[in-house]
Amino acid sequence: MKKIKFLSVIAIIAGFVLMDACNESFLEITPNGSLDESVLGTSEGVDGLLIGAYSMVDGVCDGFGWQAATSGWVFGSIRGMVANKGTDAGDQPDINPIQTYSETSTNPYLNIKWRSIYEGISRCNNTIIMANITEEAGNITADEATSFIRQARALRGYYHLEAWRMWADKSSNTGIPYVDENTDQALLTNTEDVRDKIIADLTAGTLLPNDMVQVGRFNKTVSQVLLAKAEMQMFGDYAAALILLTDVEANGTNPAGQACSLAPQYGDIFDAEFRNSTESIYTVQYSVNDGSGGNNGGSAEVLNFPYKGGASPGGCCGFFSPTQDFVNSFRTSAGLPLLNGSYNASAEEIRRDQGIPAGGVWKDNNGDSEDKTDEYLVDNIVTMYDPAEPYLDRVYKSLTGTAPPDDPDAPNIGNNPLTSPANWELLWVEDNSLEIDPRLDWSAGRRGIPYWDWGDHTGADWIRDQTYAGPYSPKKQVYKQSQEGTLTEVGNWTSGYTANGYRLIRYSDAILLKAECEAMIPTGDLGLGEVNAIRTRAANAAGFVKEADGVTNAANYVIGTYPSFANQAAALKAIKFERKLELGQEGHRYYDLQRWGDVQSELTRILAYEKTMEWGDNLYGSASIGSEDSNFPVPQRQIDVSNGNLVQNR
Amino acid sequence: MRNSIFRRRGMLFLLLFGLAISFAFAQERTVTGKVTSEEGELPGVNIVIQGTITGAVTDVSGNYSIVVPGPDAVLVFSSIGFTTQSVVVGNQSTINLTMVTDITSLDEIVVTAYATQQKKDITGSVSTIKSEELSAMPQGNVTQQMQGRVAGVTVTQDSRPGQAAKVRIRGFGSFQENSPLYVVDGVPTTDINTINPADVESLTVLKDAGASSIYGSRASNGVIVVTTKKGKPGMSVNYNMYAGTQTPGAGPENLLNTKEFADLQWLVYANDGTVETHPVYGPSSGSPTFPSWAADTKWYEEVTRNAPIQNHDLSLSGGNETSKYYAGFGYFDQEGTVLTSWYKRFSARFNSEFKIKDRVTVGENLNITHRSDNGISANGSENTGLMMGVYRAQPIIPVIWNSGTFTDAMTAHVFENGDWAGTGVAQRLGNGENWVADAVNDQDDRWQDIRFLGNVFVDVKIIEGLNFKTSFGGSLNSWHQTNWTEKQYWNAENATTSTYGENSGYGSDWTWTNTLTYNNQFGDHNILAVAGYEAVKTGIGREVGAQKAGYFSRALTYRTVSNGATLQSGWSNYWTPRSLVSQFLRADYNFLKKYYVSATIRRDGSSVFGADTRYGTFPSVTAAWRISEESFLAGASFISDLKIRAGYGTMGNQLAVATANQFFLYGGAANTTYYDLNGTTNSSLQGFRPTRIGNPDAKWETAVNMNVGFDAVLLDRKFEIILDWYSKQNQDLLFNPELPGTAGNADNPFVNIGEMKNTGIDLQFIYRQIWSDFSFEANASFTTVKNEIIKIAEGYEFFDDGGSRIGGFNRNMVGHSMGEFFGYNVLGLFQDDAAVDAAAIQDGAAPGFFQYEDADGSGTIDPDDRVFMGKPIADFTYGLNLALGYKDFDLTAFFYGSQGNDIFNYNKWWTDFWPSFQGQKSTDLLNNSWTTSNTGASVPKASNTSNFSTNTVSNSYYIEDGSFLRLKNLTIGYTLPNSFLGNVFSSARIYVQGVNLLTMTKYSGLDPELASFNDGFMGVDEGNLPATKQFLFGINLGF
Repeated sequence: MKKIKFLSVIAIIAGFVLMDACNESFLEITPNGSLDESVLGTSEGVDGLLIGAYSMVDGVCDGFGWQAATSGWVFGSIRGMVANKGTDAGDQPDINPIQTYSETSTNPYLNIKWRSIYEGISRCNNTIIMANITEEAGNITADEATSFIRQARALRGYYHLEAWRMWADKSSNTGIPYVDENTDQALLTNTEDVRDKIIADLTAGTLLPNDMVQVGRFNKTVSQVLLAKAEMQMFGDYAAALILLTDVEANGTNPAGQACSLAPQYGDIFDAEFRNSTESIYTVQYSVNDGSGGNNGGSAEVLNFPYKGGASPGGCCGFFSPTQDFVNSFRTSAGLPLLNGSYNASAEEIRRDQGIPAGGVWKDNNGDSEDKTDEYLVDNIVTMYDPAEPYLDRVYKSLTGTAPPDDPDAPNIGNNPLTSPANWELLWVEDNSLEIDPRLDWSAGRRGIPYWDWGDHTGADWIRDQTYAGPYSPKKQVYKQSQEGTLTEVGNWTSGYTANGYRLIRYSDAILLKAECEAMIPTGDLGLGEVNAIRTRAANAAGFVKEADGVTNAANYVIGTYPSFANQAAALKAIKFERKLELGQEGHRYYDLQRWGDVQSELTRILAYEKTMEWGDNLYGSASIGSEDSNFPVPQRQIDVSNGNLVQNR
Repeated sequence: MRNSIFRRRGMLFLLLFGLAISFAFAQERTVTGKVTSEEGELPGVNIVIQGTITGAVTDVSGNYSIVVPGPDAVLVFSSIGFTTQSVVVGNQSTINLTMVTDITSLDEIVVTAYATQQKKDITGSVSTIKSEELSAMPQGNVTQQMQGRVAGVTVTQDSRPGQAAKVRIRGFGSFQENSPLYVVDGVPTTDINTINPADVESLTVLKDAGASSIYGSRASNGVIVVTTKKGKPGMSVNYNMYAGTQTPGAGPENLLNTKEFADLQWLVYANDGTVETHPVYGPSSGSPTFPSWAADTKWYEEVTRNAPIQNHDLSLSGGNETSKYYAGFGYFDQEGTVLTSWYKRFSARFNSEFKIKDRVTVGENLNITHRSDNGISANGSENTGLMMGVYRAQPIIPVIWNSGTFTDAMTAHVFENGDWAGTGVAQRLGNGENWVADAVNDQDDRWQDIRFLGNVFVDVKIIEGLNFKTSFGGSLNSWHQTNWTEKQYWNAENATTSTYGENSGYGSDWTWTNTLTYNNQFGDHNILAVAGYEAVKTGIGREVGAQKAGYFSRALTYRTVSNGATLQSGWSNYWTPRSLVSQFLRADYNFLKKYYVSATIRRDGSSVFGADTRYGTFPSVTAAWRISEESFLAGASFISDLKIRAGYGTMGNQLAVATANQFFLYGGAANTTYYDLNGTTNSSLQGFRPTRIGNPDAKWETAVNMNVGFDAVLLDRKFEIILDWYSKQNQDLLFNPELPGTAGNADNPFVNIGEMKNTGIDLQFIYRQIWSDFSFEANASFTTVKNEIIKIAEGYEFFDDGGSRIGGFNRNMVGHSMGEFFGYNVLGLFQDDAAVDAAAIQDGAAPGFFQYEDADGSGTIDPDDRVFMGKPIADFTYGLNLALGYKDFDLTAFFYGSQGNDIFNYNKWWTDFWPSFQGQKSTDLLNNSWTTSNTGASVPKASNTSNFSTNTVSNSYYIEDGSFLRLKNLTIGYTLPNSFLGNVFSSARIYVQGVNLLTMTKYSGLDPELASFNDGFMGVDEGNLPATKQFLFGINLGF
């Protein structure tokens, strides 16, 4: 018995020892559901990493939202005062100080934008590292590796250029860190001039072929335009840019190898269906219903739709309202813009429906929209169209009230402003008789003008809070009603996730840059030919916004070409203004002003005008623009976590 | 032998059906007697023949009668509050007995780490809660019952049905995970919500290193040892139930009605000089007019309801010398006071133990629980019923459209009577949702799971005093969830397609523990030693889910993912488990029960660490001196017992660390790395990115723990005081500090970098007194926590946590406690332009708006002027339990309080500022806000201006004192006298109870007791559901 006890003690101790021997393997647990580096060492693996790097080109991924939008609606357009935040005062309040030039370094939009950019760069660097490793291992050819690396470098250059525009101190050209595959994070600084490195990366991209087969890759043309932009923005080297842009104009293709040219009709450029038309040098490829929950569907622009479900697109959230100054800029005289700024004079202003109730709907019973006698009203405000004065629609308010008819289909013959004027008060006249550039109505949604195929913009009911942001809606990124469900994500809180990819580089952008180079150098016709080509395309009447009949112009569109540029200054003035008209709301404005050194002067002028708007006090308060507002402060959080490596740029 | 096995099986069989049986034996005869106490006759004493299930109960006069099998029979007398006594029958036919009161807790047997001890022999800091104390507070789970019962434990209730409370032992040791480790019958687990409180015999809270370091690998947040009920000799059947109703209370009293809301809009017009035609209230030039559909909805009343709650427990317990059984069945059913929320739990427990040949004990504990609920969002989500349904819904909005046919020109929906109404019926009603509509449409959503938790064990007595025990246990659960979201027409922001998703998964873990226990006495020397080996694997499991949009029908029977038109997401997770192995050795020694010393050493290995840093070693030592046994205190008759304790030790932690922390990983997902290279618009190509930056050098975090305390029993055992001072310093704190953006967005590795310290006092004070008909007991607990962050990471001093529409409010900073509120200090409101000019330059400064303190004196208000404004961690929390007995009546009252904590009342952002979305607003904004004629106001001017000086930054306007004292529970019970019981019942008690009847606080929000799912959001009130008042009726029956 004793022996048994003794043995059992021994057995237990032996058991403990044995168990200990198993510990090591028991404690080795490799992760499930992930890849390690070795699996990616193939052509497909490296390309997968490169696709991951491309997927940041829209700025967003799970974790980085609209704050990081590549479309630049906050930092490029709102900051450049072609738009304001829109919506209401309390929504996304972090934009408020950005549009009042009082943002601090702790503004979360800055930090998220920074992190998004450097995540893109980090993915590029991982692609390059893995391409090199895989080539050394003999698993991909040198040609494959070169193509992967050139694409990754072009992307890396693009991301750095974006950071440079945001944060570089333009006097010292420092402020951003440059990160490549050899960077030691511990030795990072932002006190060096990194422009040459950005140029080198983009130059590597220009060695790519033009035909990359897939339209979403970077190619030679894309890299050339980016390089030209970098030369102009960072160095003011217009001669170098002109060479690149001249080649692009003549030989440029999109990444699928199709030659680029001006699209015949201006409005088509922004139709989701034509996202990869000849106008597009590079379109960020949005996709919907692809299992990403809307994340790949322009989620950075998802807020920028009129604010109402049903009869207007998106359903949310009323952001990104064009400013009155931007709208007025489209006024023309003899077909040319009012370059002296007189478009903001009260006689020239585009009429706004601020404070006017939204119009009701006349229901047409006999299918003849001209015949108003058979129609009934479902609201007490109505807009009446008079064939005699096509550009002067009248908005009436019923004085007798319009109780909902018992039979909603019964005609309301006899009680409309034409047949019984005594029952109606004239509230406002939708005056579209002023001469305007037709591009206005593709760039801004305003009352009484057809909004894609969604019917007329009906005014206040498409706006979240006019008293905060004025009466205008964005338009260029908006999809058509006929595209809902196919080119938009279904089943979300908004249908504003679209496949209407942001046109990162349009052909007309490149052409206008070329014009700018010619004027700046100066050389050739100072860009006159380029500007007129743009204006000639805009003047194609087939591309005007039409009334529901498809024939009648929605407003009094008058546009022509410049006979000549008197001198360099006149040329520059016209070219700069043409960029505002042609590329408005597309995220370029603030950076254009930055390149020209016009941020403080031009925006101060616009701010003074916008403050006189009915919403000016609520929106801008006591805002003013200082010389420091030509860039943004480095995010304080990045300085805090950099262990002393990063310093504030201003 | 076969026969006896058969008999055991038969007994189990019969027991489970609740039938009593008895056996006839030879030589049987009847023994009678009378049981008394010091106060007189003692009814209700259980008398059991040892080793059998035969028993009797004394009657109202203390008399009993029992048939015994023979002279060897041993009668065991037991009654709550008295020491259990055994008497050999011999040839006696009359056995009278005086029971000795056992009112001190020192003699309790306490289940500690891997062992049981008498409480008086414990040298570490340990608190226990017995089942009677737990059952005094009818609650859905034991975490809630712990509140205020144990010094050193801070419990925060969550008012959603069925939710576990947040439990923190002695402060916060980590930025990530501060939940204690629960050990249920030897099986570690983090989810004790499946445990039916009625099945719990005791909870033991191990607070310091001396007590808990034997669970070293996961002990640094403290350990709660849960012991479930075992069968006892004899047989008992108990049925307990309670049922009642919960009321949501009156809700916020500071919200506007429809008329007032319009008045406020007009005040804003006046303040801002705005002229417009309001789409609802008409031209600003006149007075507000109201549309025909205007309602005056009290949204709180619409969103909440009186809700029933009921609970039933049936337990069957029995056994003899060689076998014990316990079976418990529970049903808990709680509806939430917020519309359509509910929680149900069915639980069954089967515990049994068999002794084989006096040497081997085998047993099992098994808990099977089925839970289901239709849950609602917690505090901190904008989608709570309160936030979305009450604070964001204007009163003018009807719940149901009832104003005839109405074609909304904007939404194109034709409203008919009976349709839902909402923010979509007109413009400018904000973007809240009709929460009632949402809740009713989505009421069929259901989450459910079934979970098995238990263990089997064998205990072998090798020689006298030396036992080997092996236990294998774990849990397995499987869940399924459905989530329907109805397409909407009634909101301003509608989901225009119905969506439906399901997800499902399983998870399991196991623990294998082997211990060798030596317990012996050599003269005056007592030794208890435990050596053990343990292997644990947790986090085994997978889950899968998918969601589709576009449903042809909303019929419940049609809801499958297959029936949806468009795939929105399909996903699965394959978790990376974590394994642990540990060897440990513990020795307790005492001399004469006077001088104690205890030492523990434990070595742990964890799979989350790399090969070189895998193991950690955690020693501790404690000592105690029973000073009351010393001769120099012999004369101090008021001291019944006094023991001084001290301990020092270390505990390990690796809970926070991601299981794949040591690896560099790549991955991809549609929403992070896919890109539509081909321009198809609907099929993005798979891409990859680095998903995790590995750190193979991470090692065990160590909590260094000191504890000094004493246990005193005074004045004829009427007073008990237990006092502990503690200090806990977490070193090499595992934390994943944010990396610079330039490092990319892959998951940051956990590194051993931080340091945090908690110090405080736990005090428990008990007073008991029994007179002839009266008994009284007061039990007070008092807990202080002083938390200090000593280090965060190399090179930076702070990080912000939490999130809101205006950023996070909680800052973790070296030298401060966790999660302190950070922002601008409001000096007051600017009174006029002169005051603005005279003040520091401040963006948006204007009369009627906030003036901030220029904390750094720079003349400009900038981010450097932000200061710490308050702290969410209380100075102390306390509980007071009063129990009064008079004859057959009992009354208990339980108070709980928290003192010295602040609350960031983020609800005010929504209700006190006009531009914070167009939802509901407060009467303060209408009546007490700054105007040129009301310049003394503290509420800023009602204005549609949103800037730095109004509502876009964190500031001290939102900070309020969050201290409170609450009467958690008031119970009056009546125990039916034996004469009423007849032959069927052995005991019966009925009671009525009120829960959360009274709260004293200065806090202006609905409830200062804030649930928070995460310590990073501590102390922020955003739609927190208030504690419900409950009125319950209950019955306890023994058979």
